[in-house]
Amino acid sequence: MEQNESESLMALSLEDKIVQSKKVVKEAIEKFGTEKLAVAWTGGKDSTTMTWLFRETCRELSVPMPKLMFIDEGYVFEEIWDIVNQLKKEWNLDVIIAKNTDVSDKAKNVGDMVKVSSLNERNRSEIAKLGFDGDEFPFEPESYVGNHLMKTVAMNTFLEDHKIEALATAIRWDEQTARVAETYFSPRTTPPHTRVQPILHFKERDIWDFIFKYKVPFCVLYNEGYRSLGAKGSTVKLSDIPAWEQDLENTTERAGRGQGKEEIMGKLRDLGYM
Amino acid sequence: MLGFLKKKLKQNDRKDKVVVIGIDGVPCSLLNRFIEKGLMPNLADLAKKGTLTDMSASIPEVSSTSWTTFMTGVNPGRHGIYGFMELQKGSYRWRFPNSTDIKSDTLWDIAGRNNRKSIVINVPSTYPAKPVNGILTAGFVALDLKKATYPDSAYEYLNSIGYRMDVDTRKAQESAEALARDIEETFVIRKNAILHFLDNHEWDLFVGVITETDRLHHYLWAALQDENHPQHNFFLDFYRKLDSFIGEAYERAGDEIPFIILSDHGSTAIKQEIYLNSWLRENGYLKFKKDNPQSLEDMHEESRVFALDPSRFYIHLKGKYPRGSVGPGEYDGLREKLREGLLSLEAGGEKVIKSVLFKEELYSGALRDEAPDIVVLSYEGYDLKGSINKTQVAGKGFLTGGHTREDAVFYINRKVTAKDINIVDVGPTIMSLLKIGGNSFDGKSLSL
Repeated sequence: MEQNESESLMALSLEDKIVQSKKVVKEAIEKFGTEKLAVAWTGGKDSTTMTWLFRETCRELSVPMPKLMFIDEGYVFEEIWDIVNQLKKEWNLDVIIAKNTDVSDKAKNVGDMVKVSSLNERNRSEIAKLGFDGDEFPFEPESYVGNHLMKTVAMNTFLEDHKIEALATAIRWDEQTARVAETYFSPRTTPPHTRVQPILHFKERDIWDFIFKYKVPFCVLYNEGYRSLGAKGSTVKLSDIPAWEQDLENTTERAGRGQGKEEIMGKLRDLGYM
Repeated sequence: MLGFLKKKLKQNDRKDKVVVIGIDGVPCSLLNRFIEKGLMPNLADLAKKGTLTDMSASIPEVSSTSWTTFMTGVNPGRHGIYGFMELQKGSYRWRFPNSTDIKSDTLWDIAGRNNRKSIVINVPSTYPAKPVNGILTAGFVALDLKKATYPDSAYEYLNSIGYRMDVDTRKAQESAEALARDIEETFVIRKNAILHFLDNHEWDLFVGVITETDRLHHYLWAALQDENHPQHNFFLDFYRKLDSFIGEAYERAGDEIPFIILSDHGSTAIKQEIYLNSWLRENGYLKFKKDNPQSLEDMHEESRVFALDPSRFYIHLKGKYPRGSVGPGEYDGLREKLREGLLSLEAGGEKVIKSVLFKEELYSGALRDEAPDIVVLSYEGYDLKGSINKTQVAGKGFLTGGHTREDAVFYINRKVTAKDINIVDVGPTIMSLLKIGGNSFDGKSLSL
């Protein structure tokens, strides 16, 4: 997408942004149908907003709501489980937990070492694909092998098992500069599927305006100052005031996502250090 | 367009300007090989015009130490950066040194004091950005582009072009192809940013570093070695593109302006990773309180030595560490014993350690106390690691390329007669080309 096109979409009013997102959702449903389309839901504010938009659009089109994929990477905040279970009931959602239990069964606690030889063939071949030929790796959210198996492989297995052709994710242009080039529909190769990204043009402020205007329930961690929720243990809050009352425009949303030490350690690990 | 730019440069042409292009992790031997293969015609031309030679990196040969040695012209005993991580004073918790820990002036600090402008793009270990007379955007480990960039106007520009501070190496989990695409995209945007600042802003000293080379080497060195590897051609093409970029940058600068290319270390195929803390454990120097230690906080008080990435050994001295166990009288004997043991360390029947160096042989200056007590150099292909949780001494990880110290590269479009160039010499050379004197460097300015 051209830079100025995305800029003008980001400048729309909240109502126009909702209309734009619904248009993308509608196009995705028409293209893939509701069976082969899934919604990636983390229990966070963005993917909950996207889920709401899917429900509304499905109601308008009188089609069933697609299934939701929730990745349990083994270190989910209890408060996230609370909101997931609450909304699952209230909104009558078909939530499928994507979890690589072959790996998580081998570790009692975060940090435990997992022996490669104890894993099934799929996981072993995934590890080999990474080029990793060590004997063991730590079960940690930000470790290279652990992250791959518990997030990417869990997701890919879900996509394959349910023959999903399109997965909707709630990334936004204003989150990170690296996302500026993202488009509403983006093809992926492994496994082959399309990413549908209907709320790219929402800003962090829009998400909160939307949540309050439409009374969308949200995770209590945002009340405590968390701005962006990742894995427990690698997400911190940088402020004690509620997320929506923070200076959203002049501070970084993802700063608490492993900012500082955890993020540095992650980057160093990816280059073979630590 | 180019003619206009050249004219623009000419107008305020002063011979005492310098352009430096950094190519992280590029070995001189690989460039020679690619020149021979006809893959890098621009560099081949430049080599004829000047001097392309190998250079020694800092010890240890990691980016943070080596680039800091480049940017200060002094040894780690004075600039204080011995690696990517340290322990916090009086504790066993990690600390990650950043730009605020560099205790010597940088080339751009000195240039600024002399009313000269610098543009500094993507030099590792410059995060968070400090104010500079000119423009700076920091390299690895930069976390936030806004904090990485000075002044705000430069941030606005970088943000508007979707600038990327680093390759997203996690793409390797998707596929080697996805990683390759990310390396390529990041390189293009980096190159565009460098050329933009080179063209549109005033500078006396221009430093632009490409770090995609290092990521390419770490993850895809196997692709270089194996012609049938699916990313083999990508690797070669990447170097063709790097060569075009060098050509474009040189064209903008012209023959008059000194043009330097350097790397902070070389790269080579990893035969084995060697886990120094596992060796220390096996030999009774190091003990943990748990079977599955997570960090040095789990170290047992009887421990006598521990290692930090990549090749640094620290004696667990009483008084220096909260649970230190080694008395001052034991220090020398312990180091001698370690030297002997490490020199006989073998993996697969081959010797691993080439030399064992003590801190006083390596470093001088006010910050020598903080230096590792011992640093070792390995034979090529043995990648030394300070990992805590490994159970074996030798193994393999997910990277195929590791570092070398003696095969870094130095180029300048002038004739240089000096042999044995070290990265510490580059800063002093730049300052004499800028005609800024009165500095106390550890390196020697190369006579040109």
